[in-house]
Amino acid sequence: MSKELIRLRDLCMAYDDELVLDHLNLYINDKEFLTLLGPSGCGKSTTLRIIGGFTMPTSGDVLFDGVRINDVPPYRRQINTVFQKYALFPHLNVFENIAFGLRMQRRADPENPGRKVKLPEDEIRERVLEMLEVISLKGFENRRIDALSGGQQQRVAIARALVNRPKVLLLDEPLGALDLKLRKDMQIELKRIQQQVGITFIYVTHDQEEALTMSDTIVVMDKGTIQQIGTPEDIYNEPKNAFVADFIGESNIIDGVMVRDKLVQMYGRQFPCLDGGFGENEAVDVVIRPEDIDIVPVEQGQLTGTVTNVTFKGMQYDIIVDFRGFKWLIQTTDHSPVGARIGIKIDPDGIHVMKKSPYSGMFGDYSSFSDEYDELDAAEPEEGSGDET
Amino acid sequence: MKRKNAALSRVFTALVFLFLYAPIFLLIVFSFNKGNSNIVWTGFSLDWYRSLFQNRLIMRSVYTTLLVSLLATAIATFAGTFAAIGFYSLRRRSRNVLNTVNNIPMMNADIVTGVAMCLFFVAFFTFWSGFAVWFNGVQSVIVLPGRLTLGFGTLLIAHVTFNIPYVILSVGPKLRQMDKNLVDAAQDLCCTWMQAFWKVILPEIKPGIASGALTAFTMSVDDFIISYFTAGSSASTLAMTIYGMTKKRVTPEINAISTLLFVTVLFLLVIVNLRAEHAKPERRPHPISQKLTRLLYSPRGKWLRWGGTGVVAACFLTAVVLLTGATNAQPVVNVCSWGEYIDEDLITRFEEETGIIVNYQTSESNESLYSLLKSGAGDYDVVVPSDYMISQLIEEDMLAELDYSQIPNYDLISGRFKGLSYDPQERYTVPYTWGTVGIIYNTTMVDEPITSWSAMFDSQYAGNVLMFRNSRDAMATALCYLGYSLNTTDEGELREAFALLKDAKNRGVYQSFVMDEIYQKMEGGNAAIGAYYAGDYLTMLENNEDLAFVVPEEGSNWFMDAMCVLKDAPHYDEAMAWINFIASTDANLANMDYIWYASPNQEALEQYPAYYEELYEEPLNPEIYEIMAAPQETLDRCEAYLVLPLETRRLYNELWTELGI
Repeated sequence: MSKELIRLRDLCMAYDDELVLDHLNLYINDKEFLTLLGPSGCGKSTTLRIIGGFTMPTSGDVLFDGVRINDVPPYRRQINTVFQKYALFPHLNVFENIAFGLRMQRRADPENPGRKVKLPEDEIRERVLEMLEVISLKGFENRRIDALSGGQQQRVAIARALVNRPKVLLLDEPLGALDLKLRKDMQIELKRIQQQVGITFIYVTHDQEEALTMSDTIVVMDKGTIQQIGTPEDIYNEPKNAFVADFIGESNIIDGVMVRDKLVQMYGRQFPCLDGGFGENEAVDVVIRPEDIDIVPVEQGQLTGTVTNVTFKGMQYDIIVDFRGFKWLIQTTDHSPVGARIGIKIDPDGIHVMKKSPYSGMFGDYSSFSDEYDELDAAEPEEGSGDET
Repeated sequence: MKRKNAALSRVFTALVFLFLYAPIFLLIVFSFNKGNSNIVWTGFSLDWYRSLFQNRLIMRSVYTTLLVSLLATAIATFAGTFAAIGFYSLRRRSRNVLNTVNNIPMMNADIVTGVAMCLFFVAFFTFWSGFAVWFNGVQSVIVLPGRLTLGFGTLLIAHVTFNIPYVILSVGPKLRQMDKNLVDAAQDLCCTWMQAFWKVILPEIKPGIASGALTAFTMSVDDFIISYFTAGSSASTLAMTIYGMTKKRVTPEINAISTLLFVTVLFLLVIVNLRAEHAKPERRPHPISQKLTRLLYSPRGKWLRWGGTGVVAACFLTAVVLLTGATNAQPVVNVCSWGEYIDEDLITRFEEETGIIVNYQTSESNESLYSLLKSGAGDYDVVVPSDYMISQLIEEDMLAELDYSQIPNYDLISGRFKGLSYDPQERYTVPYTWGTVGIIYNTTMVDEPITSWSAMFDSQYAGNVLMFRNSRDAMATALCYLGYSLNTTDEGELREAFALLKDAKNRGVYQSFVMDEIYQKMEGGNAAIGAYYAGDYLTMLENNEDLAFVVPEEGSNWFMDAMCVLKDAPHYDEAMAWINFIASTDANLANMDYIWYASPNQEALEQYPAYYEELYEEPLNPEIYEIMAAPQETLDRCEAYLVLPLETRRLYNELWTELGI
């Protein structure tokens, strides 16, 4: 599980003087499900295309099993890709789509090792049918591609890549075109397939929930640099900076001062916490997840504020509370009416303290609450147009 | 109210379609006419189609057209497809710029493209001949041909050039529709770029390529203007041949060939449109084609595929070899004459007797022939200009001296027509035909027989008179009437003659100024009086018996057209053979009978009445014969044109422009 398979060393990529990847360093283990997560234009798709061999980096190396493969063309890499919108061949049926890679393959003739021969037809047939079983599309082999649903096409695309028995499968936002319900099913399906075939998956998405659900490791990227690498739990619970905290889940990010280890000051009040290792009186960003805040009567509250907005979300209410001009999001099962004064209480393990970063002050305020929601909900447009070239 | 509108709009639509298609419908109907009229229906027959297929000139141009269209389509499809792929992989902005550039040739006027290409080729040939001289001088291993000419090669290049944009236009959208990850996906699955192209891009854009190729082919078959300027003297497309045939009159034979062309193009268009229609709904592979595909991809299919490729390549090579071989190996003579000015059987006979291929083209007038020769595009061996033009060509040193030892038939030419003013020393010319200019009139439309040029300026016939549409002949009618010489250089006389013309024009005497359109007008009884050539009158007489001809009492112009060979003609000996053949008595008799112009061959002149009687089993009307071959006393009244000094030519141009036609 922990054997290193791919290493990206000092990878840079520039389109027309615009730096898309900025000295990226990353290693990927064998049989790992790794997700590159970030907003559009963060460089995640470019990274994937460089690994696949479709794009040459401006500088830096790609190592596969310790060997530099920068100049190896895509068709000679033991890597296959599932493309955004599938890129199935419309003029071929399901069987021929999956068999495509096998038909193109040549291998040394067992009887005459100097010669390269095609794969025998029975072997192709066997492997394709086996793959159809893996993706639960048995009996679909003669279907035309345009007669399949989105989810079925998705699975054919996966089978087409996996049938070549690659060591690594690259997936470029493969679920982007599916509806929510199907997306959830496919997330589980993908994880199952990965475990069944036992190879490395490198998955690109802008959907943090998808990343949290499936990944062994998440790499959060922005502006061509890696912001944080870690397990889903690490990323969620211990975000390194305001960008990660905001991008993964909901966060209230408040300016604070670290009085000393395990004591942070916000709004002139001191809160006990579990973090340490900062300088005395160092300015910090404090992250408080909306679900870690308890609403209490005003007199018992560590802070008091006014409810300005309430939204019913099914499992909970999203409440926006104004604390001296700074608006917090609180998720609670209790209803509080708009205009009510409430107190809040935060447990020490609900407080996460981060060092100041260039992202400080950019996130974590819910003043423009509704706008921000719209932004998150709007399906991300196609990955940065710069990747086109 | 609403109902009425609907009915009205239906009527309007019907009218629009009638307007669009009635002419074509008429053309098709009359291609089946028994007689040779386009106005009177005399019964159904397929004779015109039969004569079409027996016409060597037409069949040869059909062959040229098909060959050039197929080759141009193949090359343009290949080049255009890859160009489209190139465009596609560019950034959007450069792609848009290129697409616009690509669209310009399609929107551009054909005539501009044609003239530009012609100029370009001629300029290139000039450069090339200089280069070849230098190149052959510095080394002797490879000998470059020093002289390139317009011909099949340039025609092909021109067709390829104007076809490529159509292919790009129809392949481009298919590429843009294609998922741009498809190529990546193929490369991801063990394909090299070329394999990805064959296995993925090609099947995706195949419909675009096919409709691009069909469009290109249609355009190629269809094209006249660009071909006209780039084909030179040795190749004629079908459209060019049809145009040459219509110089005098639209015969049902032209109707027949036009019908076939129309049906072909219609058929191609229907295919293109059906394909477009078909492409939208789900396209299911045909079981047979599926089987074939499977066969092709089976292990045995490898041989089939290679075999197929081999056969196609071999066909292509053979075509190219035949093409170049045919033009190189066989002796050729390039002739430029006037429309309907030869019995085409003579061409066939000459080719059979001598094995020399005749490329026969026609020109509109002496002036247009002259400018064609000057531009360098008219690369002929033999031309048949009229007397005054011959003197001009001699003056400008554009003619080659003839080798009369190779033209024994020159002795048969009547002494009357030798050593005339345009070639007093008999060095450059062999007479072809001669005739007089006179007035043709419709006896049912005038009160008394016309005898004088005054009829051409008489308000009595206002709106019913047809005047020449060229300055020399038009001015000559006025000069004759005024009693001046046709070759006068006196500005006062010329201005007086012009004033007469201008005044008559202002009084509305002239229905129009015409050349060969006079056929339709006079035959159809649409005009009463027109000045034209005696031979043409006789042809008109066949279709309208009410017409009469007179060489007016004031005198007139008599003309001689003679065969000349251009300086540096590439096929000099073949040209001599052709001239000798045409000068023979047999050929002169056949021509006289076919075009009704008098022959300069003394034997032919004497034998023609007997020849006619034998052929048609009725005696030749001596009056008609006198009109065709005017007796010497008529000729004495007439005057031949001489070349005018430059100053006078300028005055003619100036006055002609002032007349404003």
